Amino acid sequence: MASDVRIEDTARYLEKEGFDAMVAACNGQNLFLDSNVVFVFSGVRPIGEAVVVIERSGRSTLVVTPAWDAERAAELSRTDDTLGCDDLSEGLERALKKINVNPAKVVTVALATLFAQTARNIEKVLGGRRAANDGFASQIARVRNAEELAAGRKGTWIAERGYERMREIVKPGMREFELTADLYCFMKGMGAEDNFLLLSASQHNLAVRAAGHRKLDVGDIILSEITPCYHGQFVQICRTTVIGEPSPVLREKYKVLQNAMHRGQETALPGTRVRDVANAMNDVFRDAGYGKYCQPPYMRVRGHGLGITSDRPGDITDDSDVVLEEGMVFVMHPNQYLPETGYLMCGEPVVITPQGAESLTERDAELDFIPV
Amino acid sequence: MKTVHPSIVLGAYTWDQDRLPRDEFQIRGQDLNQAMDANGWKAMFIYGDADEHSVLAYYTNFVPRVRWTIAMIPREGEPRLLVSMSSRDMPAMKLMTWITDVVSGWQWEAGFDPWIAGLKGDVPIGVGTIGFERMQPRLFRSVEKSIGERVRLSPAQGFEGATRSLRPRELSLLRESCAVVKAASAAMVRAWRDGANAEGAVLEGERVARSLAAQDVRTLVSLDGGRTLVPFRGEFKPAGDSLVAHFAVKVQGFWSELFVTASNGPSAFPKVEKALEALKAAVKPGVVGEDLHSKAIQALGTRAIHPVLTSSVGRRVGLSLDEGCPLRADDASPMVAGYVYSLHVGTRDDKGGAIASAMVAITAKGAEVLCESGDALAG
Repeated sequence: MASDVRIEDTARYLEKEGFDAMVAACNGQNLFLDSNVVFVFSGVRPIGEAVVVIERSGRSTLVVTPAWDAERAAELSRTDDTLGCDDLSEGLERALKKINVNPAKVVTVALATLFAQTARNIEKVLGGRRAANDGFASQIARVRNAEELAAGRKGTWIAERGYERMREIVKPGMREFELTADLYCFMKGMGAEDNFLLLSASQHNLAVRAAGHRKLDVGDIILSEITPCYHGQFVQICRTTVIGEPSPVLREKYKVLQNAMHRGQETALPGTRVRDVANAMNDVFRDAGYGKYCQPPYMRVRGHGLGITSDRPGDITDDSDVVLEEGMVFVMHPNQYLPETGYLMCGEPVVITPQGAESLTERDAELDFIPV
Repeated sequence: MKTVHPSIVLGAYTWDQDRLPRDEFQIRGQDLNQAMDANGWKAMFIYGDADEHSVLAYYTNFVPRVRWTIAMIPREGEPRLLVSMSSRDMPAMKLMTWITDVVSGWQWEAGFDPWIAGLKGDVPIGVGTIGFERMQPRLFRSVEKSIGERVRLSPAQGFEGATRSLRPRELSLLRESCAVVKAASAAMVRAWRDGANAEGAVLEGERVARSLAAQDVRTLVSLDGGRTLVPFRGEFKPAGDSLVAHFAVKVQGFWSELFVTASNGPSAFPKVEKALEALKAAVKPGVVGEDLHSKAIQALGTRAIHPVLTSSVGRRVGLSLDEGCPLRADDASPMVAGYVYSLHVGTRDDKGGAIASAMVAITAKGAEVLCESGDALAG
């Protein structure tokens, strides 16, 4: 039987709650903000819809679509068995028959993330709608293990190299998509299998967005949200870069973001509620006279969990009662629209330690500029 | 062909009104109006997500970069796009579509309910739906809660999978896509011949495609001589004696793809090229999939079709990489002028495999090859 702490924890949960098995599903779409529960249990990012079946004994089976991807999935998976199919409900039915599970004693995880038709078909296989514990995988994976933290650190290293590359090659006249093409492939060449890479520029940004056809120009403020994924661990750095000398007001206002970041890091001790961290950052903006801008569309959140292992602690917002735990990893980013400067970005991936939120980066965000 | 779905659809998707003017969407929207009139519907809802959005893109030009989008198109009145992103992101989303009313789907009651309340007619008000079978159950529950007994949803038939011939302006865009896939896959082969390993070569092709403003790039590569194809792994293992890869790009909304097999010596699977030639020679209006499948099987001799091709020797390609009509042994639907197909054929044994492909536009009397594997090898 494959050895995996989270599968063992799951087996104990099944025993305690009187379930025969768990069916945990994903729809094959990857969001860097969300858990991919199939990845949590198997270590595989499936191409299509997939499930992991975990028995009370701790035995586990990965069922993937399409069928032709089964060989790769089997090679990578931590589960005992792997099965390929082109119809997920048919594959699940086969898997359940092999292990002789009573469908009435199955608990499901994230079935609601599947396409409606697939979810209905799976409910038929299970003989009806079964007990659901949709947050289970996210909860048991909420603290990164040593291997995941190491991958997160490597991802951060890649992100910083990507940002260095940007500062080396950016020049007026280049189009946003050309810069993004280079950076995306540069980081992929370092092993980043995915990248939620937003990069855009304006003389007065309203928000960061995906790169467009705009030509970069002197005086532009380039916003970059560099988010590589290495071995399933997304990390994110948020940076602000000016083409040409930044104005004094821009320098002054960027310091507000940096102060908010520092305040957030100091506050984020184990046991602290997320809302207190968000408020600590918001207080810096309030003190600077920007209280009314601490809401959308002038900002989104003060940070967020990072998929695809666990999305905990979720969004860093002033209404979240989630309690921070040592070892949690997320991005903290007091990104903010200010009327004098437009939208600015400042953020690091952090890990919660007894001293607060430790940045995983070698160099924290500064207001950088490209000499022209 | 599918590969691991990326966390965001990265490319530059700004609506290009020069290439797709406003009247394009009036022309396209006539299908919706006809369906509404025929069924007595007051509106149609089109659902799309980051993975599959071809129908949504066809009518709105909008592509969800993450999560989902619902287009709410009334028979009379203003349409609305409900996008699953923050209100902060809406100004950027508006750049992708002719629809001016683009709102965040995260404030569901504020975005969906008032629009529904504006529909007039006898209760229950009929609304046609497209793509709702892909909608996640929890979102569907929100829809159900909002519409209550006042609105009745009915799945619209005939919209999934493109049943439309491409008009000249659309074919023109698809040709541009083919030009990019040719350039990118040729760069990939050059890099491999210059000593890059398989993943490194594919990455070079991707860099070229993205630099040419490809909106999306999807690749698969073989790490075992063509026996299997896998998504990017970042292992960059040393180069082997052959390169087998699948390369797909999206340009101005239209996909194109090529399978490429390059080798240092003579091909270990010469029948694959012969089978592709047989397919290219046979395609024309009226030909059915089972005939093409039979010709390919005949040319392959005793070998089976490569499993990655899922028993088909082609399918339609356009706003989706899979617009249906798989050319399989049981397919009796005839090819039609104005359709574009990706033809592909391949096989494998214990040691390796090979796959070749071509994109063809069916013309009045035959077919025009838009790009083919040989373009990458010649480049």
